[in-house]
Amino acid sequence: MGMEPAYLLHQIGYRYPANKFVLDLERLEVPAGKIIALVGPNGAGKTTLLLLLGLLKKPTRGDLKFFHSDPWQSRELLYEKRKEVVLVTHHPYLFQGTVFENLVFGLRVRGIPEPEWKGRAEEALAMVELDGFEDQPVKGLSAGQSQRVALARAIIIRPRVLLLDEPTANIDASMVSRVESVISEVNAQLSTTVIFSTHNFSQAFRLADQVLYFLDGKQVKYSHENYFSGRAETDGAISWIEPKPGAKIFFPGRHQGHLTVVISPEKIEMFPASQKQTIPGPNIFSGRITRLEMAENNLALLRMSGELNFRLNRPLSELDKKGISLSSPVLVRFAPEAVELIRK
Amino acid sequence: MILLELIKTIWVSLKVSGSATLIASLLAVPLALFLAGNEFKGKRLILLINQTWMAAPTVVIGLLFYFLLSRSGPLGAFGILFSQTAMMIGQIILILPLIIGFAYSALRQVDQKARLTALTLGANPSQAGWMVIKEAKYALIIALLAGFARAVSEVGISMMLGGNIRGETRNITTAIALESSKGEFSDAVVLGILLLGITLGINLLVNSGLREKA
Repeated sequence: MGMEPAYLLHQIGYRYPANKFVLDLERLEVPAGKIIALVGPNGAGKTTLLLLLGLLKKPTRGDLKFFHSDPWQSRELLYEKRKEVVLVTHHPYLFQGTVFENLVFGLRVRGIPEPEWKGRAEEALAMVELDGFEDQPVKGLSAGQSQRVALARAIIIRPRVLLLDEPTANIDASMVSRVESVISEVNAQLSTTVIFSTHNFSQAFRLADQVLYFLDGKQVKYSHENYFSGRAETDGAISWIEPKPGAKIFFPGRHQGHLTVVISPEKIEMFPASQKQTIPGPNIFSGRITRLEMAENNLALLRMSGELNFRLNRPLSELDKKGISLSSPVLVRFAPEAVELIRK
Repeated sequence: MILLELIKTIWVSLKVSGSATLIASLLAVPLALFLAGNEFKGKRLILLINQTWMAAPTVVIGLLFYFLLSRSGPLGAFGILFSQTAMMIGQIILILPLIIGFAYSALRQVDQKARLTALTLGANPSQAGWMVIKEAKYALIIALLAGFARAVSEVGISMMLGGNIRGETRNITTAIALESSKGEFSDAVVLGILLLGITLGINLLVNSGLREKA
């Protein structure tokens, strides 16, 4: 295996009917047998890309090769190739019935002989630490357990490619490391190519051989709003970079040399500019709201342009309470601990 | 009313409306599955027409098919006016939009995710479609029950296309209409209670079946 590409995408575009392109990729090569992380804010096109890689949506334009063949050239080939790749979605859907019935669905449609099912189900459940859950009805499972059943239902198939959309988003903190281990184990034991999306930078760097960044449907290199680069200086306990003169970003620890840092949009707080005197620092920046979009769950996606530009997500109710709207002057603040370092 | 005649009347109701429900479901469920799983131009129009059609009065459908099936009508050659077949056709037309509408919303609730999940796990489109139907089975059964209830309780179509022939096309509702027109209100009320009793019995049977499986 080794150098063979699992996917080769060339000038791939995807758009939903009557919409602008949500994905627009010049070229993307995914080597087989590797772990790849897709990182980017909501709406960056990660999920759409996973649907394309899962052969569940056909690119609107461009050329997609899956292990050297074009899966969309005929129905027969498409159905055959789909059997080699599995996507576990963000909020996975479990079929009514028991955990076992869910696990063996992929085995049944592949015509794998029934006597093999039990052993493989046990093995898959053990990997996600749900031993003995075979006969449980899926109705009573917690969100985290459901997510792990969905993961087991995918790995039981032993696919060539495993696609995971935010695999640890709904999982208890105690189980995150187990799921991360599954990703590594599947990759190491079965040479499965694993591609997962995440908001968690440290997770991406910890697990993946390669991290790909996305913004607004395009692949980017460190150019998304909340990435900042600069030469780090330190006083021993705390370090900072100065991406623009006078605008310093502080983070804990002793760091030197050129660094790129990123601040997750969820970790940025916002205040009306009038409170400037009362908010303690560090990492306070002023600017104006230059973009405001509504997202699901009553969340507003905001962009502040000012000394530095930030993208942030706040609940709508908070905007109302603080009287903040488009073009309002605001302050943003984040804890030094919220700054994640990316080493080059 | 003689007991034998009563039994025949009930049997005509059950047979005609039961068959109409069965045939209508075989047409409606695949169509609803297609509508729920696909986005295309004109889909909203189809749904709008379907919703409007749901409200069609039974006498209007009866009248339309009366013209179509009468001897001088375009389908007159079949000679099926005033038969159980004609009643069945009329009832199928009546309940088709109802079952499509209910089945569509039932399948729509589960469709996108269940279908996608089945496909990514390696199912072909017909296996995935079957999975979606299985996931929506309770709501689909309710859709069929609603269709049956509408068919068994209508009177306009049965009267116009069946002709209320004793022992042939007389069903419970046309019998009720006849008894009331004769002034035999107590018989009409008894038949009405009987009709409600039958639908109650069927619903109880289906519900207990569902509960056992759940």
